[in-house]
Amino acid sequence: MANLFDFKLVFTQIPDLLRYLPVTLELSVISMLIGIILGLILAIIKIRQVPVLKHIATFFISLIRGTPILVQLYIAYFGIPMFFKWFNAKNGTDFKVAEVSGFVYAVIALGINQSAYNAEFIRAALLSVGEGQIEAASALGMTYLQALRRIILPEAITVALPSLGNSFISVIKGTSLAFTCAVVEMTAQGKILGGRTYRYFEVYVSLAIIYWVITIIIEQLLKAAEKKIAIPEQVANYIPEDEVKA
Amino acid sequence: MIQIEGLSKRYHDNIVLEDVSLNINEGDVIGIIGPSGTGKSTLLRCIDQLEIPEKGTVNLGEKTIDLSKKNKKDINEIRQNTGMVFQRFNLFKKKTALENVMEGLIVVKKLPKEEAKKIALEELAKVGMTAWANHYPKHMSGGQQQRVAIARALAMKPRLILLDEPTSALDPELVGEVLDVIKEIAGKGYTMLLVSHEMSFVRNVSNRVIFLDKGHIVEDGTPSEVFEHPKNQRTKDFFAKMNLMNQPDYII
Repeated sequence: MANLFDFKLVFTQIPDLLRYLPVTLELSVISMLIGIILGLILAIIKIRQVPVLKHIATFFISLIRGTPILVQLYIAYFGIPMFFKWFNAKNGTDFKVAEVSGFVYAVIALGINQSAYNAEFIRAALLSVGEGQIEAASALGMTYLQALRRIILPEAITVALPSLGNSFISVIKGTSLAFTCAVVEMTAQGKILGGRTYRYFEVYVSLAIIYWVITIIIEQLLKAAEKKIAIPEQVANYIPEDEVKA
Repeated sequence: MIQIEGLSKRYHDNIVLEDVSLNINEGDVIGIIGPSGTGKSTLLRCIDQLEIPEKGTVNLGEKTIDLSKKNKKDINEIRQNTGMVFQRFNLFKKKTALENVMEGLIVVKKLPKEEAKKIALEELAKVGMTAWANHYPKHMSGGQQQRVAIARALAMKPRLILLDEPTSALDPELVGEVLDVIKEIAGKGYTMLLVSHEMSFVRNVSNRVIFLDKGHIVEDGTPSEVFEHPKNQRTKDFFAKMNLMNQPDYII
């Protein structure tokens, strides 16, 4: 019974797992970027009530939120190459799908998955910016895109940041499923290590510790970021330059 | 001269403005008064195309623009020639007073930053807000926010300034400072349309008063004409009610 749980191994194998931390982070960051950009586009389509596109956006969000991410990863990994095989055969093109790495499929699936959730967060944040400010921007002669970039987004970010932070944390954990697309990231490496030593349980405990620590770090970074973009509580009076010299 | 011709606006079956026409001379300060819901604000918002009327045109000097069409170029031209001051100030919350005033100069007029800053500081000085240039709207009182909002509108050098009930969202003790600022700019030759419920102020500051009732202009003349010798029964009733309200509760 001495070796029921190898306490030491939980910590000694952490460096081995951390070698794949960069893959996990790359997957997370790129998926999150796709998720934010696509989410923003979906949110704007829904807010501006763009004809036709708004129906597509609603359908897309419903479909993505209504299916498990694991299934989406499988569909991306097997479905996209199948589509291009069919496309090549039909149009005589020669897309080399076999050379595309699993990383790309994983990022596409995770990014699209995130975008559906982010779209709703971003939409709520954009709507939280008062109509009055948008009218004031229009009255100055600004276009919607100018107002979006200069007035609406800077304020909406403050509102969206906590939810987007949540979203980022969940995408980091979502990357642990990327093995389905044959991407070796931390969890996949853990499974490989466990396969060598049959110490699966210890590996999962190590992984739990790593993911938790990463999440704590991100929570702290978010807190700092929130503080940074908040409007300062107090500001000094403005003193004209000529008075400063005098 | 600015001409507004045949402006009509309705919400569903509710007619707000019906065939309103108005000639505005350069330097005119026109006070627009009337009961609530008669389209005073809508008139200003239609001129700026924040609301799209069913029909109506505006002539800003060079050409006549159809207000009922959402033509981007025309909308832009109107908005660059008009400045709007809102009831609820509508300052940009994430920008300082200075940045609020600079915003239009940089984004719309494409001025270099230094020049925009110079103009913005001049405008802030005019409304007595220089010391508050670095402050954000949430640091300011309503009256101060409205003064910055006026500076923001003036900085664009509009040919026509639209003031939509600029003091009705303010605490009574803050109304004075905003009215002082408006009075000062009114004396500087700006052309203004002022919607307000401050009757004595309207009488004081404007050189022409319009009484709007149920979407029609029923009275149009100098302040003394309209306030002292109203022609229309509706106007007389309105002033009578106003005077009743101004009477003291008790007389000993």
